[in-house]
Amino acid sequence: MLEGEASKCISCGFCESVCPTLPDSGYSLSRGARGRVILGRNLAENEMEKTSVKSFYDSFYSCLDCFACLQVCPAGVNAGKVSQLARELIVENTSPGERDPVAEMIVNVTEATMNPLGQGKAMASWSEGLDFDRDSEYLLYTGNMYQLMSYTGPLNSMRSRIGPTMSGAMARLVASRPSLSSFMSMQNDRRMAERMNGVLRTIYSLLRKAGISVWYLGDSEPYPGTFINDLGYSEKFRKYARRVYQILKSTGKKIIVVDPHTYDLLTNAYPEVLPGYDLEVIHYLDLIKNIEMKKSSMNVALHEPCHLVLRNPQKNAPREIMEKSFMIHLSKRSGKRTMCCGGPTELLFPDLSEKISERRFNDLRSLGAERIVTACPICFANLNRDGTVMEIAELIASNLM
Amino acid sequence: MVQAEDLKRELGKIIITDPVMMKPYATDASYFEGVMPLAVAIPENVEQVKQIMSYCSRNSIRVVARGGGTSLTGSSVPTENSLLLSMARFDRIIEVKPEDRYAIVEPGVRLDYLNEQLSDIGFFYPPDPASSIAATVGGSISTNAGGLRASMYGTTKNWILGLEVVLPNGDLIRTGGKVLKRTAGYDLTSLFVGAEGTLGIITRATLKIWPKPEATGRILAYYRDIETIGQAISEMKRIGITPLIAEFLDRITMDSLRDSRGIKFPEDANYMLIIDVASEEVAIEGEMEKARKVLEKYNPTELEVTRDRERMEKIYEARKGAYSSLLNQRKSMSEKVVIGDIVVPASHLPEALKEASAKLQEHNVKAALFGHIADGNIHANIYADLSDEKNMSDVEAFQRDLAMISIKHGGSVSAEHGIGLEKKELLEMEHSVNENREALDLMKSIRKIFDPSGILNRGKMFD
Repeated sequence: MLEGEASKCISCGFCESVCPTLPDSGYSLSRGARGRVILGRNLAENEMEKTSVKSFYDSFYSCLDCFACLQVCPAGVNAGKVSQLARELIVENTSPGERDPVAEMIVNVTEATMNPLGQGKAMASWSEGLDFDRDSEYLLYTGNMYQLMSYTGPLNSMRSRIGPTMSGAMARLVASRPSLSSFMSMQNDRRMAERMNGVLRTIYSLLRKAGISVWYLGDSEPYPGTFINDLGYSEKFRKYARRVYQILKSTGKKIIVVDPHTYDLLTNAYPEVLPGYDLEVIHYLDLIKNIEMKKSSMNVALHEPCHLVLRNPQKNAPREIMEKSFMIHLSKRSGKRTMCCGGPTELLFPDLSEKISERRFNDLRSLGAERIVTACPICFANLNRDGTVMEIAELIASNLM
Repeated sequence: MVQAEDLKRELGKIIITDPVMMKPYATDASYFEGVMPLAVAIPENVEQVKQIMSYCSRNSIRVVARGGGTSLTGSSVPTENSLLLSMARFDRIIEVKPEDRYAIVEPGVRLDYLNEQLSDIGFFYPPDPASSIAATVGGSISTNAGGLRASMYGTTKNWILGLEVVLPNGDLIRTGGKVLKRTAGYDLTSLFVGAEGTLGIITRATLKIWPKPEATGRILAYYRDIETIGQAISEMKRIGITPLIAEFLDRITMDSLRDSRGIKFPEDANYMLIIDVASEEVAIEGEMEKARKVLEKYNPTELEVTRDRERMEKIYEARKGAYSSLLNQRKSMSEKVVIGDIVVPASHLPEALKEASAKLQEHNVKAALFGHIADGNIHANIYADLSDEKNMSDVEAFQRDLAMISIKHGGSVSAEHGIGLEKKELLEMEHSVNENREALDLMKSIRKIFDPSGILNRGKMFD
């Protein structure tokens, strides 16, 4: 598969011009889309025998999987897909001890606890006091993504504080004993937690306002396995996805998801690994599209999440909704050319992620709008630099008729 | 001999020597597979470029400069024991002065990005090679890139006011400047345009910029034969219409665009003509009507006039992506599309195309033909199977015949892609057939003056 995708490449370099990681990696081609495809072809053809697969690690793991490359490729090559397949090959050909310890930890903890940080119990705190309808035809599936955002900042700070050697050792320890992940409960940014919990409550309210009641699995809701898939643990992902599928399927309900990454995983990745996959998955914005809002004079810079609009090109619910009520300002990189916030690579390349998100934030800020709005918890957490960034649900809720 | 690690020690963190990180630099957009460079340098400032060139000059290390890596003739692929010098980090727009009609930019700025920024103030930089999304200012200067708009605005050489260049010995020179007129000795700026990195490393460029056309419209006309198209274009130019764009596509190209982009073309047409007219808003309808009347006179099988931006964009993007669409029709992955790039006086184009078609049959080679009809530029996109010796030999023979056609009609073997590795032999041929060897010898002498030890892009253009 890797060879098939990579060999279509004509090496025109168009993908490089939109790849966010290339300029922010100092323009080293191996950290850009064309370089990844060239290296993917080499990896598949075993051309570089003397070099172990591990030496390809930085190239493929720094890819954001944003699919910006695919939008401009005249030959239809998906450099994001090449990176994904190459990561799978790297995992297949390395022993656990050779792999990134943080990646190993995340995967092992997820398998053991169905949450990447072992914090499953804390994931449902947003729902306290809300009514859920067991008989509803819909299951609200948060995928834990909004809830996890309050942990990423403190955990990254800790990693940077204690340095790579110590954090690697800790990660290895937790990877071997996932129950030790409980220490991560201390690494929680309370203000971010309150904000993200608030967004989830707002989404719930918007659905109610649109006449939709939902059922929710509470603290037994599983994490969908995004990291396991993104990190290239294909076999483990297949098994994990089966577990999640069975839990969701057993509810007998249609699945409402709230973030782009879970939506992408359930609509694109799960069907690829689960024969007979038959969940009906809906993004909540598609259900509240027709909710009545006042005309607002507020100027809003819209950041369209790549995992929503580049992976599902026929959809752009955030823009459709925003256009109805707000004066929206779009960056030159919007729509099919939208630019990733850098978030997806934050776990393994925090410095690179930071540079990309700063560049994107400055781009959006330069539009001169009062607010920057996005529809993704990862984008929110990465772009939220000066208090002007809002989640789309917050903005919609503040402007209802 | 200097080793990669010596370079790293001397030049520091801007040097890459890791084989995995260097591998992507071994190729560009051409079908030439270069060798692994000795090392890759990605300097951040002019001082570093000077240091690199001075060091390489002292140690006789060959240097191959790279911009966007979009060359179709192999001009940016590394050769044996060379340092690959990437100018990608020179990515800033330094100054834009619309009232003086210039912009100062660094060579790593991509053309589409530059035009996006200029567009905000109603200006643009006209050269637009089909690779403009990825092609850089430095690379396009070095190949004297043309593009679709050359019909009205000419090629890159018409838009370069001045350059800052680091010479092979590490010295820095500045040529030209911010003014539209200048007669101060030899025009050194022009020497670097199309020099393919053989004379120096461009570190800054002063470009002429121009107000964007106020209004544009597009006419798509379909014909059964190319002679009629040639006659229509000639008449258009005779009566004073200069199209912004005048492109022709043959049936094979149309079919590939149909397959790759879902665009429908009339079945009974063998050639498609795309004409863009630019003018002031108040006059655009009248100008388009004048062009339409000429095209109608030559009995198109179908004709469409549009000012719909979405439709225009779709056709423009399709034309720009024609090469890629043709690539998608390859029979196997070992098959490549070699782009022939000849130019003849515009009025000779129909005759030259007829001769090219006959040569295709004679050599049993498959090629799609499209190009810029108003400036006589034909792109013969030849399907070439690198694993098939017989086929490759036929392709080479056809390339030579195609080159001869261009020379015979008073044109050239290279219109806008440069020479690189691909056309070295054809460049020699052009000068020999034209009994103009002295001009080529003079070029070689000029190269020697700039680069006495022959370290810059050695093996490219000519030996």
